[in-house]
Amino acid sequence: MKAVETDVLIIGAGPAGLAAAFETASRGLDVTVIDESLSLGGQLIQQTQNLSSLPSDLSPMRGFELAAHLIKQIEEYDIRYLLGHRVIGFYQDGTIGITDEVDVFPVKTKKMIVATGAAENAVAFPKWTLPGVLTIGAAQTLINRDFVKPGNDAVIVGSSDFAMDVALQLSEVGVQVKGIVEKSTGVLSRNTEKVKQVNKIGIPIYVDSSIVEARGMGAVEEIVIKQEDRVFTEKADLVCIDGGRSPILDIFYQLGTSFGFQKELGGWVPQYNKDFQTDCKDVFLAGNAAGVSTQGALVLTGRLAGMNVCEALGAVSKETAAVEKKGLWKELEIVETKYNLDIWHARNRHVDNFTHPVLKDQFIS
Amino acid sequence: MHIKHHPVLGKKLQNPVTIYFNDQPYTAYEQQTVAAALMANDIKRLGSSRNLVQPRGLFCTRGRCCSCYATVNGENHVRTCMTRVEDGMKIYPNDEDPEVRGESCGD
Ligand SMILES: Cc1cc2nc3c(=O)[nH]c(=O)nc-3n(C[C@H](O)[C@H](O)[C@H](O)COP(=O)(O)OP(=O)(O)OC[C@H]3O[C@@H](n4cnc5c(N)ncnc54)[C@H](O)[C@@H]3O)c2cc1C
Ligand code: FES
Repeated sequence: MKAVETDVLIIGAGPAGLAAAFETASRGLDVTVIDESLSLGGQLIQQTQNLSSLPSDLSPMRGFELAAHLIKQIEEYDIRYLLGHRVIGFYQDGTIGITDEVDVFPVKTKKMIVATGAAENAVAFPKWTLPGVLTIGAAQTLINRDFVKPGNDAVIVGSSDFAMDVALQLSEVGVQVKGIVEKSTGVLSRNTEKVKQVNKIGIPIYVDSSIVEARGMGAVEEIVIKQEDRVFTEKADLVCIDGGRSPILDIFYQLGTSFGFQKELGGWVPQYNKDFQTDCKDVFLAGNAAGVSTQGALVLTGRLAGMNVCEALGAVSKETAAVEKKGLWKELEIVETKYNLDIWHARNRHVDNFTHPVLKDQFIS
Repeated sequence: MHIKHHPVLGKKLQNPVTIYFNDQPYTAYEQQTVAAALMANDIKRLGSSRNLVQPRGLFCTRGRCCSCYATVNGENHVRTCMTRVEDGMKIYPNDEDPEVRGESCGD
């Protein structure tokens, strides 16, 4: 492969990156999309549940269907795809270093949209490193993307919406979910409908409970649960950790953007303004990298970042951009407040803090 | 176990291939990652930690935790969750430090 020069480099081909690709490519910009996985769609690929709260122009659909829709939308444009490629660093002059895992190539771009998504957080307990203990997203990926049943008897640690979805999906492929263990005093999922379904198929939810330890020779075989004063052991060859998600920040560290902390957005988030622009002026961001939210909101942040890049590169007039951006922010408000008001408020606080970053030029870990 | 009929996505596993783990043959399907295919065959321990020699295996499926390292077709420290299976692939667990390229390789 030779060196690449492009107008817009989009890092990450999930819902946010794909939406940004449409905004920019459909307005005539030269767009390059890079993703380290081998297919487009990001984390939507393994999401079989129906998505609620999508933008008004999209009808309700399942996660993988949204991926297919966003991919179809950009089919007609001449976008450069670098799949199986990873951004690993930046040269002093701003050139981006990418690798196909064999060689390293330079990419020069006028603007960059970082849409690298979020990573799942671990919840540690004794022997949590035993094989068979997976993140809950990993379990979902195995059943819905690789078509592999990761075990027969599962215990889920954590009770978010995501845990409810995957509990149901695991049951559908014949995994017996023995229980959901939640350390808080109540179920975290706000989706009462899903919780009802989980109850209905007989999956017990243990609140105010924790994992004492996992046990097994070479892989997990049983798990010890503590519920108030009761300690009991479940046979389990699959333990799924639902520890929430946090934005992936690697690229922002390397670029030297500043960060702010917003618990509701997943922790440390790169600082950005209303244009989804970081304090490195050529670097924009979108999706879960800009704060963990729901799929509909992620698509909208991708559109917003794309629109701002179009404006910055003169592909749309200032007037058109102003109208479009206003509409997109309005819609983001509708979608995000419907899903979770706290996230919307945290996003606004975060944007307001743009001029007062908490952390600058430091490595957070 | 391979999921032959997925309740939402249908019958997706079409083209079987053979992969080898510790020289034993196992069935996998094109499109699956190495770590997933091994898990379908009930192989979960992909290596061991150096210090306390604890078993290690698939954890995140997205290339971030490096818990799924194995030796694939002679290459050490391959993230098996990010690598797709190929017919005849030879996989060995990651139980030792890799051979780092030495002077003989020029770097
Ligand atoms: C395993 C998993 C399962 C999930 N399941 C659900 C679910 O069921 N329900 C739900 O509501 N949400 C789920 N999510 C949340 C999910 O993150 C969002 O739904 C959505 O996909 C995020 O969109 P995004 O565009 O921000 O990022 P992603 O969809 O995560 O896309 C980011 C892309 O960037 C790529 N990337 C990252 N770093 C680099 C780099 N350095 N170089 C090149 N490429 C890079 C990644 O390979 C990835 O494809 C899940 C998340 C994970 C991790
Ligand atoms: S399982 Fe985490 S890197 Fe492969």
